[in-house]
Amino acid sequence: MDPILVVALVVGLALFFDFTNGFHDTANSSATAIATGALSPKRAVLIAAIMNFVGAFLSTAVAKAISVSLINEGVNIGPEMVFAGLTGAILWNLTTWLLGLPSSSSHALFGGLIGAAVVFAGVAAVNIPAMLEKVVFPALFAPVIAGVAAFLATRVAYLLTARTQASRKATGIGTGRSSFKSGQVFSSSLVALSHGTNDAQKTMGVITLVLVAAGLQSDGNHVEWWVIIAAATAIAVGTYMGGWRIIKTMGTGLAEIKPAQGLAAETAIGATILASSNLGFALSTTQVASGGVMGAGLGRKGGQVRWSKAGQVVTGWFFTLPASGLVGAASAFLVLAGPVGLFADLVLVLAASIAIFQISRRNRISHSNVLSEVEGASEVIRSPRQVRAAAAKAAKAASTAKKTTKKKGDK
Amino acid sequence: MINWNSLLLVAAVAIGATVSVVAVFSLGMRFLTDARHIRSEGKKKDVAKPSEIIFRTAAYAMFTLCSMALIYGIYLIVPYFHLAK
Repeated sequence: MDPILVVALVVGLALFFDFTNGFHDTANSSATAIATGALSPKRAVLIAAIMNFVGAFLSTAVAKAISVSLINEGVNIGPEMVFAGLTGAILWNLTTWLLGLPSSSSHALFGGLIGAAVVFAGVAAVNIPAMLEKVVFPALFAPVIAGVAAFLATRVAYLLTARTQASRKATGIGTGRSSFKSGQVFSSSLVALSHGTNDAQKTMGVITLVLVAAGLQSDGNHVEWWVIIAAATAIAVGTYMGGWRIIKTMGTGLAEIKPAQGLAAETAIGATILASSNLGFALSTTQVASGGVMGAGLGRKGGQVRWSKAGQVVTGWFFTLPASGLVGAASAFLVLAGPVGLFADLVLVLAASIAIFQISRRNRISHSNVLSEVEGASEVIRSPRQVRAAAAKAAKAASTAKKTTKKKGDK
Repeated sequence: MINWNSLLLVAAVAIGATVSVVAVFSLGMRFLTDARHIRSEGKKKDVAKPSEIIFRTAAYAMFTLCSMALIYGIYLIVPYFHLAK
């Protein structure tokens, strides 16, 4: 097969991954702002999309993809291997989106590339210490750090704005806590901007890697302008599409979030990401965001975290690397079979993507029903607690209805 | 293997920064509602009392601090501002 054609396919696939990265991660910055009503769903994703687009241009440092350091030096990373790795990342991103689970897009990319590398060059190709250091341990600490930060900040916010019942009744003036929404607009925008500078870089890094490997670019020290524009556009369009299923999980599924908690969560997410990226300890944005939301949920008196949902999310994190790795490895076997295998792989991936989109239409979640729990379609994202509550409510309604008919009968 | 020092540093900075920024913003909100309380207690509802003005100014000072934290955040995000050329 013409090498240029392979490169073109890889670039296309990389941009598709970038797109899934965008709509998978919209939730990180906008879910809490949408949940508290600080921003309307459409406006929130529009702001996130613009911030991601701008962010992609801001970082001039060339994205030396971390994925490369997970694969030992000396292993030749060719376009075919990247192709196989990307398919694993894309399919895992789409699957977790269908299930409404926030999971790290970077980990999916690492997993896919590692899986492909193992098939291409053997298990020795994988730098296991680097994998532990860059993927496994950060996954354990990211949500804890952001969670503790958001928990403490929520406590402090409620303490500082507390008013006695008497004073509220006497003056008719509340605690002003709903005004925290105005701060949320800024904190969520900051998170979106930092997301753009980080995540679009990964796609640019992958494309540059392939261009260099194919001899179309002399060295990996700069990124072609068209790559920057394409990557920025793909992530922005993906973000604007909005991964509503994941927004629903983050905004209402993990915990009930009020404006002060939303501000605390977003500030914790932003501060944790900025501290980690500037002090040399890369953390996953998605895991930071999930931890922040849970911490804020626990911080309010009477607030609670839906642990069953949280458990599902964390389980998803454990599967991210192996699952995308398996798909990456399976793809690699096909790709190794030659041009026909590569073509077959492409067809399979596209068919699987279309199938996932078709399944998602059965219970569509969009900006119009992202917040309403009642609109029947939300069965997938309902927690058992909500299901029980709904059942109890229905039973109560039925029993009162019975009583009234009985009374009527007595008369 | 894992660099515990940098991990602890990240945790301390992240938690410290989050709590400080949210605390300052919350104080701002508190002062604003305090100012409204003072106005509602006064007899002349259309004239601002000195104490009300103090609370209002304090509130805006807090929000200014928060916006400075925001600007510092943007500064950290954009490498052009802080990387040696």
